[in-house]
Amino acid sequence: MTTRAVEAWTLEPLVKFVKEAGARLVLVMTSAGQVLAQHGFSRAVDVMSAAALGAAIMASTEQIARELRQTPFAALNHQGQRHGIFLAGVATSRGRLVTLAVYDLDVSSLGLVQLFFEQLAADLQAASPKDSVPKQVLAADFERDLTDSLNTLFGR
Amino acid sequence: MSLVNFTMREITCKIVYYGPGRSGKTTNLHYIYGRVPDARRGRMVSLATQTDRTLFFDFLPIDLGQISGFTTRFQLYTVPGQVYYNATRRLVLQGADGVVFVADSQARQLDENLESLQNLQSNLLEHGVDIRTVPLVMQYNKQDLPRELILSAADLDDALNFRGVPSFSADALHGHGVFETLKGISELVLKKLAAGSTA
Repeated sequence: MTTRAVEAWTLEPLVKFVKEAGARLVLVMTSAGQVLAQHGFSRAVDVMSAAALGAAIMASTEQIARELRQTPFAALNHQGQRHGIFLAGVATSRGRLVTLAVYDLDVSSLGLVQLFFEQLAADLQAASPKDSVPKQVLAADFERDLTDSLNTLFGR
Repeated sequence: MSLVNFTMREITCKIVYYGPGRSGKTTNLHYIYGRVPDARRGRMVSLATQTDRTLFFDFLPIDLGQISGFTTRFQLYTVPGQVYYNATRRLVLQGADGVVFVADSQARQLDENLESLQNLQSNLLEHGVDIRTVPLVMQYNKQDLPRELILSAADLDDALNFRGVPSFSADALHGHGVFETLKGISELVLKKLAAGSTA
């Protein structure tokens, strides 16, 4: 199973969580659904769909909490016949993050995931960078690459 | 905001298709989904009502390939256009790197277009974003309808395009203008990223 991090500081806490909680798939993402780290997905475009859905569930329940004038729900859990999903927010200096964990009921349990999620949250809080320096991203003349890529994509 | 992985040299950007109900936002994504090879796109996720109206959002991740040495991926979202889904519309808009405003070119829909544009401005403000600073393009969809029913692109520019942003005539059902619109917003989003990173 692959574990990858877009932001390196998330990798170690994620690897530890996967091992301890026995989770099958895990995403650590921003509240807008951008993936910072993932375990268990093979294609980047598949991971993005899961992140979009997880972030949407969190965003809508947080909005319900606001309308009820209460603090956001700490975590959400759904259990099916074979798998469970666990969603929870983590406040870090990188901003509010969302964790989505999918676990097999014959390998792990909600209790186990909840227990080690608390450790994951603490580890992410401790590891998150306090400030970041902007780096060079794109050359100013990226337009030709973009045009070529889009032409290929649309078969032109 | 765009997510950049310097180690893996990857960029991920979020683009939201916004506009009034039935203006053709989902149709844009369906056309893109149909044209992009399997290996370069993920599953299209549609959270829709039983009558196929968008309830929460449609979502389509696409892989643009290498741009300036970075593997570049775009996450395309649509919002529900119907007025009473504003709460979910606002949620989808969170963290958008660019917006495509899909206007319905029918003359009788002008008020709905204006209302939706004002709603976009207001929802961006809720996220602390000034509409004048976000990469934005206009798409005037349904330009294939009979001339007596629609406003021309020039008329729609006068009525809606107060920022003078790039605008594109389209017939999303048959794909006319869909590619040009995506290219237009991609350029603006990546230009902003390039400018921000070198500032």
